Formats: sequence, C-alpha cells, structure tokens
Amino acid sequence: MIKQDGSKFDLKRTRFLDKVALLLFAIIFFPILFLLVISLFQKTESLKYLFENLLLDYTINTIYLIGITSFFSLILGIIPAWYISNYKFTGRRLIDLILYLPLAIPTYIMAYSYSEILSFTGPFNFTYDFLKIEVLGIILAFSLYPYIYSVSRISFSLLGSRYYDISKNLGLSGIQTLFRVVLPLSKPAIFSGLFLVIMEVLNEYGAVKYFGVNTYTIGIFRSWNSMNDTGAAIQLSSILLFIVAFLFFTEKYFNQKKRFSFLKNSKLLSLYRPEKSRLFLIYLICLVPIFLAFIVPVFFNFSNIFSNLDSIDFERLFNLTLNSFSVSLIASVFILLFSTFFLYNEKISKSKFYYYINQFISLGYSIPGAVVALAVIMFITSLDKLNDEISIFGNFYVYLLILVYAYIIRFMAVGKSPIKSSLEKHPDSYDSSAKNLGLSNFQIFKKIYFPINKYSFFTALTLVFIDLMKELPITLILRPFNFDTLATQTYEFAVEEMIPLSSIYSSVIILICCILLTTLKIFLDKSDVFRS
Amino acid sequence: MKNYIILLFSFLIIFSCQENKSNEVNIYSKRHYQVDIKQYENFEKLTGIKVNVIKAGDDELLERLKNEGKNSPADLFVTVDAGKLQKGVEMGLFQKITSDLINSNVSDDLKDVNGYWIPITYRARLLVYSNERVNISELSTYEDLANEKWKGRLLVRSSSNAYNQALMSSLYANLGENAINNWSTAVVSNFARDPKGNDRDQVKAIAAGQGDIAIVNSYYIGLLLSSEKQSEVEAGKSVSVFFPNQGDDQRGTHINISGFAMTKNAPNKENAMKLLEYLTSVEAQNTYVNNSYEYPANPMVMPSKLVQSWGSFKRDTLDLNALGIYREDAIKVFDKTGWK
Repeated sequence: MIKQDGSKFDLKRTRFLDKVALLLFAIIFFPILFLLVISLFQKTESLKYLFENLLLDYTINTIYLIGITSFFSLILGIIPAWYISNYKFTGRRLIDLILYLPLAIPTYIMAYSYSEILSFTGPFNFTYDFLKIEVLGIILAFSLYPYIYSVSRISFSLLGSRYYDISKNLGLSGIQTLFRVVLPLSKPAIFSGLFLVIMEVLNEYGAVKYFGVNTYTIGIFRSWNSMNDTGAAIQLSSILLFIVAFLFFTEKYFNQKKRFSFLKNSKLLSLYRPEKSRLFLIYLICLVPIFLAFIVPVFFNFSNIFSNLDSIDFERLFNLTLNSFSVSLIASVFILLFSTFFLYNEKISKSKFYYYINQFISLGYSIPGAVVALAVIMFITSLDKLNDEISIFGNFYVYLLILVYAYIIRFMAVGKSPIKSSLEKHPDSYDSSAKNLGLSNFQIFKKIYFPINKYSFFTALTLVFIDLMKELPITLILRPFNFDTLATQTYEFAVEEMIPLSSIYSSVIILICCILLTTLKIFLDKSDVFRS
Repeated sequence: MKNYIILLFSFLIIFSCQENKSNEVNIYSKRHYQVDIKQYENFEKLTGIKVNVIKAGDDELLERLKNEGKNSPADLFVTVDAGKLQKGVEMGLFQKITSDLINSNVSDDLKDVNGYWIPITYRARLLVYSNERVNISELSTYEDLANEKWKGRLLVRSSSNAYNQALMSSLYANLGENAINNWSTAVVSNFARDPKGNDRDQVKAIAAGQGDIAIVNSYYIGLLLSSEKQSEVEAGKSVSVFFPNQGDDQRGTHINISGFAMTKNAPNKENAMKLLEYLTSVEAQNTYVNNSYEYPANPMVMPSKLVQSWGSFKRDTLDLNALGIYREDAIKVFDKTGWK
C-alpha cells in the first residue's frame, strides 16, 4: 500500500542519497523522455496515413488478441492455482513446479513450435489451416499464463483459512468461494499478473507477423521498415506509451479507492483431500496446461536436437551460452540493485519524489524492445556528437555497456514488481520501531528488510534474468561486433525457416530457465510465501 | 547535473581509448547465413584480415549507422534487398565503390547504375504450382495471377514481408499506378486464405490442398527440398517451379539481390575493398552456390545443381533501385487493396 502523506521534494534540502537517486533516475529515464520529446518534432504525414487506413484494423486485432490471450491465461492460471492451493494429492508439488516452467519458453519459440506441429509436414499431417488469430492467442497464453498462475498461487496462499472457513459456514461451495470471496480479494494481485501478460502481447512481433495478425506493434514496424519513416514509428510508440501509462494510472487510481486490506494469514490454510471423483477433475485441470504448454513444445525441441545431432557446434553453443548468461546476469543484478534502491527509499522516506520515480521508471516496459533500442541509440549518439574529437563507438565494451543500459530501461518493471509487492506486505511500524532504536536506513535495510524480503529479491533476479535470456530485439540492434546470444542464434535459424537447427539453442535457453525456476521454487517453498 | 553527464561521458571515453586499430573489416549485416561465416573465415585465412559482424534487421542497422554518423565503426553494410540499399543511399550513408575488378566480376544488369552497391548473389521470386491440380499451360505471368481462374487458389505471405514489398515495387515500376491497383485488387480476391506464414508454409499449404499456386522465393524452395525432414521434402516434391514472364516480348522474372554497400566513412576502406573483391571472385561465388540456394552474381559461376534443375530463366532487367524508390507506393497499394 502506498502512502502519500509525503513531504514536498525540495532540491536544495535533499540528502546526498536523493541526489544519487535523481541522477540514476535521469540516466534510466532520459532515453524514454528523449523519445517522447522528439516524437513531437516529427512529420505527421505517415501518422495521418496510418490513422486513416490501418490503425482501426490494427487496434481491433490487438484488442481481440489481448482478449483471447488474457482469457486463456486467466483460465490456465487461476483454476490450477486454486486446486493446488487447496487440495492435497499425489504429485502435487511436482505439478505445482511444472506449472511455472512454461515461463522458460520464449513466446516466439512456443509459436514456431506449435505452427510446425500443427502444419501439414508436422507429425499429424494436418490439412487444416491453423495459422489463425484465435490459435495464436491460445499459443501465447501457453507461455504467458504462468504470470497469472504465480500471482494467484501467492495470493490464494496468503489469504489463509479464515476466509475459507467463513464462506464454508455460509454454505458456499468451493467454486463459489473462489468466485465470490477469493477472486475479489485477489484482484489487485491478479491484475498485476495480467498487466504483464498484456504488455507481452502488445510487444510481440515475431509470432504475430508469422501468423499474419496485424497488431499495433506491426504498425510501428510497418512505418519504420516499410514506409521508411522512423519518425512515425517513434510517434506510434509514444502514443502506445501514453495509452499504457493512462491505463496503468487509472487502474491504480480506482484500485486505491477500492483497496481494502485483507486479514493476513492468521491460520495456515489446511489442504483438503479431494474425493476420488473430484481427483480426476483436478488432475485433468492441472495436467492440461502442463502437457500443452510445457511437455509438447519441450518434446518438439528436444526431438529436433536428436535428429540434427551431427550439425551441432558445441564450442559455439558454449560460447553463446556464456554470452547470454553473462550479459543477462550483469543486467539483472543492476536492475535488482536499482529497483531495491528506489523501492526501499520510497518505503522508508514515504516521499512523493520516490513514489513518482517508481511509477515512471516502469514505463520502458510498455514500448517495443526495438524502439527502446532506437531511443537509446539516438540518445547516446546525440551525447557522442557533443564531442567531435573522440568517439565512443567501435569498442566492444562500450556496446556491451549500451546493451546493458537498454536492458535496464526496458526491464526495470519486471524486477520491481515482486520486490514492491513484498515490501508492501510489511507494516510501516517496523521501520519506525527500528528508527527509534537508532538504526540508520541502511542498517534497517540490512537487519530487517533484507532478511525478510530476501526471497522476493531472488524472485526478482530470476524473473529478470529469464526475461533477458529470452530477449531478442534489443540484443539484435545494440550488440557489439561478433556477439551472438542463444536468443539471436535461435532467431536467425527460425527466421530463415530452419527451425530444427534452432532447437538446440532454444533448448539451452529453456533448460537454463527451467533450472533457475526450479531453484527459485525450492527456495520459495522453504520460505513462508506459500505457507503450505 | 552537468558534471555527472561529463563524468559518465569521460567514463565511456576511457573505455573507447582502449580501441586498437588492427587488421580488420567491420560489417553490419542483415544476412545471417552459415555460408557467410564460411566466406569470412576463408577470407581471413587468405588475407589475415579479421571480419567482424553485427547481424540485425536492415532498417535497424541503417538507423544505427545514421545515428553513429561519421564515428561509426562499420565499413560495409550488407542486405538481401536492393530496395534497402537504395534507402541507405538516399539517407546519404554510403560512398561509391569504384574498383574495376569488383565491377567486372559481377553481371552488369545486377549492378547499381549509380555505383553505390555491389551484388553478390540474387534470388528469383517465382511461382510454384501443385503437380496434381495445375497444368503448366495455365501459367504465364505475374499479371495473369489476377485472372479469375485462380479464385480461391492463390497462396502468398503477408505484405509486411520485404520480398513481397520488393515484388510489388517492381510491378509498380513496370505497370504504373492504375494497372497495379486493379491487379492487386484482383489478386487479393483470388487468395485461398489470408496472407500468413513464411515462404515454406505456402508450399506446405499447396501440399495440404489449401491452395494450388503460390508466390515464393527460389531460395526457400531449395531449403525445403534439401530439408532433413522427409515430410518437407515430399511437400516440396508435390509442387513444380515456374518462372513467370518468360515470353519473348515479356520482361522476365522478378529478382532481388544480396548486396554490399560501403559506408561513407569506412575506417578500413582498403580491407573492405579486398573483401568485396574476394566475395565476387569465382572462388567465393562457388562457395555461395555450393552452400546455399542463391544464384551467383558472377556470370562465370553456375548455380547449384538443384537450382540448375529448375532450368535457366530470363531476369527482369528493371533498375533494382526501383525496388526502393517505389517501396512506399507499393505499401500503399497493399493497404488500399486489402492485401494484409
């Protein structure tokens, strides 16, 4: 919960730490601001053309696709989470774990795998044309539902048994309890997951292009790549950013009014043993997403590896893995540090200054990666042109730095969200008591906030790392010479219609991300997050 | 605030000072094929010049090049579409390539009339048709795809695809605005389904019976026929290749090149020249055709056996810069006539 009783921000009286925060915020936010500002100075002809001819169609497609993916993500996320959170059955812990794992599969790999499986030359020789917007929506939901599943799991477990007991006494059935009591209470959490799903759909490019679905993002690239009008692409991205920001803040505003805190987990939720007849249903509901969203695509990719074993260059595979791993790790550590720094300062100072920093710094997530990359290039090169004598370009490490910089701008939102929800759970009385004991802010962090939130830090690190392992457009544009990653290599084969050869690289991404998610899950199970 | 920016800036400069100007050549590449890696390795063995590559989309790379300005480390830009090379020329990013040797290595009609870029390979955007349901006598030209006999039978990918945009640009240049609008409207009404998928998918759709003819790139037919997957090879064998517009009074089949341009401030110009000389030479051109299904730009070299089996054909000799010049008009035709 955000309190905004905050004192006014006054630059002259700021502490050193606040200056650092302001500088850091400026560095991270400048390219976005730069993009917004230059979008005002572009020609509007192409924009007008797009508005008149295409944008209506593109917008309808986008909303329809978001609708389908959101619907299926909610179904695939919430219902299994409900049963896993409430019932005890054989294999429950393993099923719980695997339900998270589709997060390890990049959406474009999910889409390419399925389109190959469902094609005429696939294992079933389908003659039906599956390349349809509805099918795409469902395939995207396969790789995005874990965002809903994870927040639902945490929320359902946090509610504790008191609500369940009351609704049971009132004579509500299990499903009635879910819809009338649990879901309304979990709305903010589920919405935060849904927000990520929507952002991912909005920014999807490879899969929508392949399926011939013209979304808003396609419009951005159409003006940039086909109409040769970078200006229009920048304008469209700025508009997108405003729409997302508007939705984001409106939701916040309304939820703040409606926000009520629920009683914390007073009593542990006890798990029921389902009757035999219901057990079958539970297995069915939990195993369907596992089968479709995990086993099928993984099996497809692994079987491709075995049929192309002789063409694998292991040395290259190792190098690319190392590249992906190191650049993702560096960027995710930075993102973790920065998010923690901003969020903790907001928590401890309760000032509006940090509140706004935290709101604005997430906006990078709302625009397509390629446009973030473009903004960064434009911003950095305009700095470079200030000094004509020496150029910063050409050096491997400079580009690596720029790449990490762009990652940070784009993925701050992903790192922030678990830390934020974890920090919000703790009452402010902790820090006032600690302050009374004479502890400094840093000591409070070290002694109180770090230990009680360490799982959320680990969660943030893992989620960002996984997103970066899968990241494609920024890496493609901003990478240094001779720098390939697993994602770029996967893409290069896939786009040249050589999916089987790409499988070894995508499988390594999937494998590494699965290992991380499993580790994370084991850690979280030990913590009190799930209380079960 | 200003101090901090200067601090950051000097930090970057310190990094960049470690730069060592060595024996190398830097390429921004839209091409990302295995054969390219082989070519650059061979070149390095031969000359000791190291080839550094950044691979990304061509529009993105042009934008990067433009913003880096004269400080860009790139010497060469390579892409698979003459239209994008023309775009780069228009943006003022390139310098002319004047080497006689390079110019004499490649066919005249594939070259840039203004001398800004050099072709290395080319591909044809041709027709494939179902062996079962189409008789070769039914096929003739691109223009004929507007004929009602193809209603519900024609397959093609979306208008977001650069190859389709190049084809439409060439038709626009050849036929003019009015004719092309009518043509595109009729073609759209002949579609067997909404445009989608990649080139391979169009062939598979014919094999699956979803349509009878498709517009595809010669390169991908080669890939499909040499696939490791038996089902793909069979799908490829269920169709035949047809080069449109081959009649005596007709202009020939639409082609597009892969080509290199040299950046305006190429820091390693000499090395870049050497690389282009090498890539257009008979030796390197043979490497191209033996490791991919492209046609060689050097007339002394023959395409791969598989590609040769489709027969030789007459190329449309339209100035390939038209593929860039008419791009925006072509897009508007797509949009106006509902080609998704």
